Amino acid sequence: MLAKITQTKAIHWLGRQLLNRDNPAAYFDPLATAINPMWVQEYTPAMVERITEETADTKTFVLKPAKRWAGFRAGQHVNICTDIDGIRRTRTFSLSSSPTLWERQGLITLTIKRLPGGLVTNWLHDSLKEGDVIGLTDAFGEFLIPEPAKPVLFIAGGSGITPILSQLDTMADQNYRAPVTLLYFVRTQDDVIAREKLAALTERYSALTLSIITTHEDKEPRYLNDKDLEAIPGLKAREIYLCGPKGLMDLANDLLHRRGLRDKQIHSTFFAPPAQAQLDNDQLGGEVTFTGSNLKVGSEGDANLLEIAEAAGLKPQHGCRMGICHQCSCRKTSGTVVNRLTGKVSGPGEESVQLCVSVPRGPVALDV
Amino acid sequence: MKKLNEEQLNGLQKDLDAIRDEVLADIGERDANYIRRIIRLHRTLEIGGRVMMPFGFIPPVFIAATASLGIAKILENMEIGHNVMHGQYDWMNDPSLNSQTYEWDTVCTSDSWRRTHNYEHHTYTNIIGKDRDYGYAVLRLSDDEPWKPWHSLQFINYILLSVLFQWGVGVHELETEKLMRREISWRDKLPFLKQATRKGGRQAFKDYVFFPVLTLPVAPIVLAGNVGANLIRNLWSSTVIFCGHFTQDAETFTEKECEGESKGHWYLRQLTGSSNFTGGKWLHVLSGHLSYQVEHHVFPDLPAHRYPEISEKVQEVCRKYGIPYNTGTFGKQYSTVVKRILRYSLPERLVGTAARA
Repeated sequence: MLAKITQTKAIHWLGRQLLNRDNPAAYFDPLATAINPMWVQEYTPAMVERITEETADTKTFVLKPAKRWAGFRAGQHVNICTDIDGIRRTRTFSLSSSPTLWERQGLITLTIKRLPGGLVTNWLHDSLKEGDVIGLTDAFGEFLIPEPAKPVLFIAGGSGITPILSQLDTMADQNYRAPVTLLYFVRTQDDVIAREKLAALTERYSALTLSIITTHEDKEPRYLNDKDLEAIPGLKAREIYLCGPKGLMDLANDLLHRRGLRDKQIHSTFFAPPAQAQLDNDQLGGEVTFTGSNLKVGSEGDANLLEIAEAAGLKPQHGCRMGICHQCSCRKTSGTVVNRLTGKVSGPGEESVQLCVSVPRGPVALDV
Repeated sequence: MKKLNEEQLNGLQKDLDAIRDEVLADIGERDANYIRRIIRLHRTLEIGGRVMMPFGFIPPVFIAATASLGIAKILENMEIGHNVMHGQYDWMNDPSLNSQTYEWDTVCTSDSWRRTHNYEHHTYTNIIGKDRDYGYAVLRLSDDEPWKPWHSLQFINYILLSVLFQWGVGVHELETEKLMRREISWRDKLPFLKQATRKGGRQAFKDYVFFPVLTLPVAPIVLAGNVGANLIRNLWSSTVIFCGHFTQDAETFTEKECEGESKGHWYLRQLTGSSNFTGGKWLHVLSGHLSYQVEHHVFPDLPAHRYPEISEKVQEVCRKYGIPYNTGTFGKQYSTVVKRILRYSLPERLVGTAARA
């Protein structure tokens, strides 16, 4: 370990001396991209091995990342990056395969639904081909299977099934010894993602109880209700995992709280931009000082720092524009900001903020 | 300077903004591919040059290696570094091409460059007393600056500046003239000096210590080749840059006439204070498209390879408002630069007398 750190330090030093950059390997990236994109060092390249259709609007991409990729735990996500029309785009997706597949065959899968009007998901569906290479970051996220084993209830909606597929696969491999229930909500039977995989899982993993509930096949929509929860044995002792559209997540949270489940038991992950928190607009806005650019601009209402910076002619680095990928994180030197997703108010001091979801409340100074 | 009334200035701004918007609407993959192609060429030339250099005991190889490394440095400084730092490729959202983090292969630190060039020079272009790039505080290039006896030898200064150009640019922000006039103290300049020493040290270490020592038996050859490559880059970039603002008809301005100026007036100043030169495609690429200095000063953050495409439109706007568009062959433009340096090395009364006689 120590040897690795000193080696890295020495390499960074040499990189700065000879190539004016911390990572000397990345100097060769422009050539690597042309010769063999799997040699790129700036991000972890991953080659598309196979693309399979799950439903009319969902595909699973089987990727083979370069060997140096650090791996992941079931339920985590990764950022992928790719250049679309010359612009680097970054988006976050859950890994839908189990870590075992990565360990044994060096493969991972991303199961991605086409979002109406979505720039990246549509590009992935229409333009990404087998043999192409995209970039990956290390995996991250805290949507993890409880250890030691506890009874679990998964509630998934639509493509929110993806991290749960990875978790169920892992639990089946480990023969996870506790009751596991999955309530999977889809609009119609045609929208079931990974139907065969789910069937195979119920077959080989006896602790799993699966119910697929269609919401839009009858005249009246049929959403999650009290009866669904009542039918689950030992609900109060279970760890709950929610992943799906906001409506389902809110409803589930509400019903579970009313049944006396505690926040600590409920784990959620977003697979689409979460709806914005209700912010009190009167207090928002303020003068933003970009100290690195010697620029001061006013702002009003719920414009976020990224929008304010761009309106002022700056082009800070950014990725997803929805608070997920942290590409736009930078130092706030003073002032208070409100997180647009959570409604949380920051402290007044120096800290790292995500420009794309931070709304100034009063004057704010940024090191941009 | 050509005088325009307020209405004309507003019209000028509108017309130039329209050209800019048209390019911005079209920016995309073509521009990304262009800069990536240039970067690949740079990498190939630099690696090729460094690999060939130890074999420089064979004279043709020495020439090829030195030229290869020299051209690599020229491409990196002019077409990549300078343009990336102007934010021309920030829209690509590629961290390795970000204007605020890019560090280039020359003595001047990128931070210092962003302050002195992007901000000071591009904002106060050719305003005597505010644009320190006008003569680099070493040369007297206009009668707005009073003549001093040491100006008579300024051609020697010019040659020295060109030969050591990267070091001159590197210490530009030290503002020695202000230090000498005691307007600022050395203490104020300490943070800058620290940064400049570190970067200068790196550049010297790389080219004059590391690579020669790495190939010890042929160290003198590698050292000579690296010195040669840096010299080629210094002479070329200095020459290109001097052609940008110091040609015969490039105008200068006083602080007074630019007080509280409008965007239209700023545009007018950029148009009349800059000068282009003509030539083949590779002359433009190797000059970082500063051969289109006029277009660059009007639109410093548009990808530079677009300047040739919009040049005709900019000329049309110039004709519409009767603004001179300063261009000519490389040789012609450069000869007027040399004349200017010589002419202003003498006091006005002498030159004036000579002209009358």
